[in-house]
Amino acid sequence: MGSRGLSPQQWLDAFNDLHASIYTFSRCMTLADINADGDYRLITSDLGTGTTNIKLKVYKGTTLMSESTLMDVPAGVVTFHMDMNEPRVPAIAVASGPSIFVYKNMRPYFKFSLPSMNVNPLEQDLWLEVRNKHMEVEIFYELLQNLRQELGFSNLTSRSQQLLMLDHSNWRSFVDQYKDIPLKRQSVITCITTLKKSMTDEDAASCLVAGTENSDIYILDPDAFTILENMNLGGEGNPTFVGVPAHMAATGLHDVEFRIVVVCRDGCVYLVRRAWTQARPLMQLPAQAVAMVVLPGNSSIVLALMNEFLIGYTKKGKKQWELKLPSAATAMAPVPLHHLGLTLVAVALTGGTVNFYSGCQIMDTITASDTVSALLFGRFGQEDHSLILVTISGHLLVKILKRTAQFTAQSSGTGMVPPQQIKMLVPKKTKVFMEQTLRERENAVAMHQTFQHDLFRLRLNTARACVNALQSCKNPFSMDTHEPIKMSAQVLGLGPTFKIHITLENMSASNPVKDLAITFHCDDKLYIIEKPFIQVPLLVPGLTYKFESLAECIAEVGISDQVQIFIVKLNYTQPVMAAVINMPISDVLALV
Amino acid sequence: MGFWDKLVNLLGFKKKEVNILVVGLNNSGKSTVINHFKNEEEKLTEIVPTVGFNVEKFKNQNVGFTAFDMSGQGRYRDLWEHYYKDCHGIIFVIDSSDRLRLVVVREELNLLLQHPDIYGRRFPILFFANKMDVRDALSSVKIAAGLGLDQILDKSWHICASNALTGEGLQEGVEWLTQQVRELISNRS
Repeated sequence: MGSRGLSPQQWLDAFNDLHASIYTFSRCMTLADINADGDYRLITSDLGTGTTNIKLKVYKGTTLMSESTLMDVPAGVVTFHMDMNEPRVPAIAVASGPSIFVYKNMRPYFKFSLPSMNVNPLEQDLWLEVRNKHMEVEIFYELLQNLRQELGFSNLTSRSQQLLMLDHSNWRSFVDQYKDIPLKRQSVITCITTLKKSMTDEDAASCLVAGTENSDIYILDPDAFTILENMNLGGEGNPTFVGVPAHMAATGLHDVEFRIVVVCRDGCVYLVRRAWTQARPLMQLPAQAVAMVVLPGNSSIVLALMNEFLIGYTKKGKKQWELKLPSAATAMAPVPLHHLGLTLVAVALTGGTVNFYSGCQIMDTITASDTVSALLFGRFGQEDHSLILVTISGHLLVKILKRTAQFTAQSSGTGMVPPQQIKMLVPKKTKVFMEQTLRERENAVAMHQTFQHDLFRLRLNTARACVNALQSCKNPFSMDTHEPIKMSAQVLGLGPTFKIHITLENMSASNPVKDLAITFHCDDKLYIIEKPFIQVPLLVPGLTYKFESLAECIAEVGISDQVQIFIVKLNYTQPVMAAVINMPISDVLALV
Repeated sequence: MGFWDKLVNLLGFKKKEVNILVVGLNNSGKSTVINHFKNEEEKLTEIVPTVGFNVEKFKNQNVGFTAFDMSGQGRYRDLWEHYYKDCHGIIFVIDSSDRLRLVVVREELNLLLQHPDIYGRRFPILFFANKMDVRDALSSVKIAAGLGLDQILDKSWHICASNALTGEGLQEGVEWLTQQVRELISNRS
């Protein structure tokens, strides 16, 4: 990759916090104007150690503005507008465990919990037995194990699941701690996204869309948090045990038409649309997905897979292109650049490289200090084109796209087709074309000779005409070296009386010319020349001499003829030069 | 130039007209700064983000300023360079509380200084480190260092911390600018 000519740096390093120690992923990061003051904040949930010290952090510019502790590991953080009330303060939704915690103005506002599911009666009985001390914990554990074999692990309550994973020594204390609390079975939210409800405005109310461990998709009302729609990817009751949603992207409007693309953990991609009772499988991926981006323009889907491939699909699930990544992808984010009319996809790779792709073309590359775990592009603070990177070592980096940045494909240099690939317009090999080619090949010599012959004739004719003109002195330049004279003649007037202007100039450097005269020759039935003979005085070199004569047209009808002007020299029979004037048609009306 | 003109010029009686370009990123307070210099009756009570640019006139020490208050939004920053040619001075307003975009300010300043219509010309640049009242705002010294102002050798520049809402620091800055513009004009004539 080093050989590729990288364009000059497109990104400015705005902020570099090596001590931010944030542990997060792209899905737990978002940018929003949570105070409705035009200053966009970075909202991120720090996973802490993975089990404790989990916090929701808000950055205002470069400073950490607020922190609030979260109960459980978040599966996703989104911001959305709940209503149309002013000021337009968006709410933050944090999905963790079976609940969605909604914050407004950085204060807890609402807690949505997934509806509880039926607990298996056998499991219920077992817990009842152990609660009433009718059963030893060891036997209880044994029976639960049997039930697990029978029902499947995922169909037990989370309490039983947790017990089954514990060590022998902790069973009793766990059972003692939880046995008195009523048994409840709830699913766990695995991914969350937003879907605009009825308007496409940037600050219109949005529904929350959540996917759960039981392959359910819930769409929630933005204001009341009631379940608007509920759909299982595997159909009613999930009899086919389809995969668990891992990535989800929603486009469109809930009240009009929407599409939710769901990538499951098993690599199957489903599509959910409005008024569909069941999700439809779109495609099966060759490997599990690391991240998904649905491009805003044509809803095409770009997926980074665990087999180090980046694949582009149409919205109908048809593969358009695929690309081998230099190393494994860790995160992906869309980079919409409205001013360039372009949406790039930023793909973070292990090692700290972040590549920007437009389709399968690589457009730019930047490197972070370490492997990037979370990547986000959007408006941060006052800056529209900010790229936020969080590395696995907890560094927080903010890069800002230069205003003058231009993206051109780097693989082919300028993005233009190389000249050897341009198709030439070769005519079709028709029968006529073939015959012509054959004929040309056979009679090449004859054709060349004919051509040369014609060319020489043309030259000869030209030369003859030239000599003829010189001999008859019909050119306005005198070729005689003794009388190098230039003449120009001009006819003025509308008729019937015209004035002929004649200008003579001696072109020689020093020799004066003398004994010249001007005579006119014309049809005397048509024209009467006032001064048929003009004596020319001595012509001094470099000066122009003007002569004039009237020519009256005496023809009854409106015809015109030529008037020839000769410059003659005393005692010479041949004129020095001549000029032919095409007289204009006389204006007959002037006679009347 | 006659003796009388010279005398009038020397004493500063003659009114001069200069064009000043006001640039800076969006939300840095350019329009608010200019609003402060306007007459009492022309002042606006509410400043909204500028679209394109506004032309404002104000006077200081007998010098008439025509200020081109440019919009600082990214999509309008292309307009700035069209006014470089005819300006006699630049006011560059910086939001000193926006640490994140200091690097963008630096980038825009470099683009400005390297522009053919600016490069090699001598005129004053006044920097307002605005919003000095905001908590954790950067000091004018830090901003000067952050922008690398010491590398500007061919132009006179001055930075002063300001608060355009109260008008603090603005007068000091514009007095410096007036002084510089005066010198520039008298040198030229």
